[in-house]
Amino acid sequence: MKGIGHIEIQQVCLGYKSGLDIRTVIQDLSLTLDAGSFTSLIGASGCGKSTLLNAIGGHYKPLSGSIILDGVEIKTPGADLGIVFQQHTLFPWKTVKENVRFGPMRRGVGRAAADKLADEYIELVGLSGYENYYPKMLSGGMQHRAEIARALANKPAVLLMDEPFGALDAQMRASLQDSLLSIWESTHVTIVFVTHDVNEAIRLSQRVVIISRRSGSISSIIETNKNHDEPVEQYMQSRQTQELKRRCLEMLSA
Amino acid sequence: MIASDQKRNGKLRRHDAHAMDKSLRINKRGRGYTNSFLFIGNQGVRAFIIPLLSVISGLLIWQWLTQTHADVVLDFSNIPSPLHVYKSFLNVVVTKTYWKDIYWSLYRIALAFTIGSVVGVFIGVALGYSSILRLIIAPYIEIMRPIPAIAWVPMAILMWPTTGQSIIFITFLGAVFPIVLNTWDGVKRVPVELVKAARSLGANRISVLFHVVIPYAIPNITVGMALGMGAAWFALLAGEMISGRYGIGYFTWESYQLIQYGNIIVGMLTIGILSSITSGAIYFVKRKIVPWAE
Repeated sequence: MKGIGHIEIQQVCLGYKSGLDIRTVIQDLSLTLDAGSFTSLIGASGCGKSTLLNAIGGHYKPLSGSIILDGVEIKTPGADLGIVFQQHTLFPWKTVKENVRFGPMRRGVGRAAADKLADEYIELVGLSGYENYYPKMLSGGMQHRAEIARALANKPAVLLMDEPFGALDAQMRASLQDSLLSIWESTHVTIVFVTHDVNEAIRLSQRVVIISRRSGSISSIIETNKNHDEPVEQYMQSRQTQELKRRCLEMLSA
Repeated sequence: MIASDQKRNGKLRRHDAHAMDKSLRINKRGRGYTNSFLFIGNQGVRAFIIPLLSVISGLLIWQWLTQTHADVVLDFSNIPSPLHVYKSFLNVVVTKTYWKDIYWSLYRIALAFTIGSVVGVFIGVALGYSSILRLIIAPYIEIMRPIPAIAWVPMAILMWPTTGQSIIFITFLGAVFPIVLNTWDGVKRVPVELVKAARSLGANRISVLFHVVIPYAIPNITVGMALGMGAAWFALLAGEMISGRYGIGYFTWESYQLIQYGNIIVGMLTIGILSSITSGAIYFVKRKIVPWAE
């Protein structure tokens, strides 16, 4: 075991039961996510990538198989498994600060310590000065930043992100992607990132896991060989990256 | 055509638009309800003068119809004139009974509404949050809900030791159902993502209830309370008129029986004012406690 946040997905089947009918979405999927890694899950809409993410987060019980976090099977959601959803899920009746300190306070951290943690993570995501704003007073991008801060303030072992930047304009998206990368580098949290955008997956993650809609399982895993010292733009423009992108798109349409 | 018209009257129209915008905003925040009673708004002199003239002409027509004992559809010979009502008011306002009646009505409303709110929110949350409690409670709600509070009057008198208690019970029934149904509705509407987010932040079921479900339902709960307040007055007056010994409803009904027709209208207007004030208070409190919903 090296660090926390190691996930083993073992022959997991996921699906929905309606009466006697079972519709399987994910079929017999196995995957290992190392502690501190950054993995993207991509696939056509309806392939089950979002369902898989929710299952890792403890929100869906697998029909069979198991998902294990640092040696313990995941059965319910909890503070270890931070999630940032595609929809805005900040509590509208709480200010940014009250939202961010919500997790620590549930853990029994005192008000003063929780406030300090909240300030720290609000600063990390670049929202200093907006502590006392209500969510609806913030732009979409700022709300996402606050949601990331709220998830991180719990110091989770894993940060699960379900197409978090899907609804943003390109500029805001790029700025949040950069922030996310620097947050990942400074916190060493294991990130699982669901997206349907190949560029985003390649830009952010070390590994891109492509899920096939037809089989409901992994059709391919692509290592991006990212070099941290290389500037992102240069990395995205390189021939290798273009080649990776082509392969991803090929696998997606297959 | 319209464009050039607007240009010519640009100044005036801008002013109108501004006034309209203001009144709209006031209405949206729920203040229109209380303000509509006195027609007071800072919408300029025009917006004050016209309603004033309208009311004065209404009073003059009323005075004229009663003085000439007009008999057009309505028989005005039995209707007290505005001056008569004013004199009745001056006579009544100095008596202790008038204020005692107001005190009793407000006391009953306050007690019944408070109990109704606590019970209503409790049942509404239970219905929305626990599927087993829903199965147990919902049938009773469905059976009782269509029965108007007034229909309870005979049974209430039999059930409770004093008529005073039976009136409070009837008022409670008036208040409780709108609050139950709106709370239930609010709890049902809580987005599943908010609950999931809270669970992923380490909240247990109790935390989710107090930090997510109830706050989310508060705007709905206040709507239920405003409706419940209206229904509570309705039920209170029915109770007081049928079986009361004090209260503004009793005052109004007694005035009819004692042939003090001026006092009937004094009673009616008093009821209107009291009910406006109590409803206004709910909207006022709502704006104080849910600033994030504005």
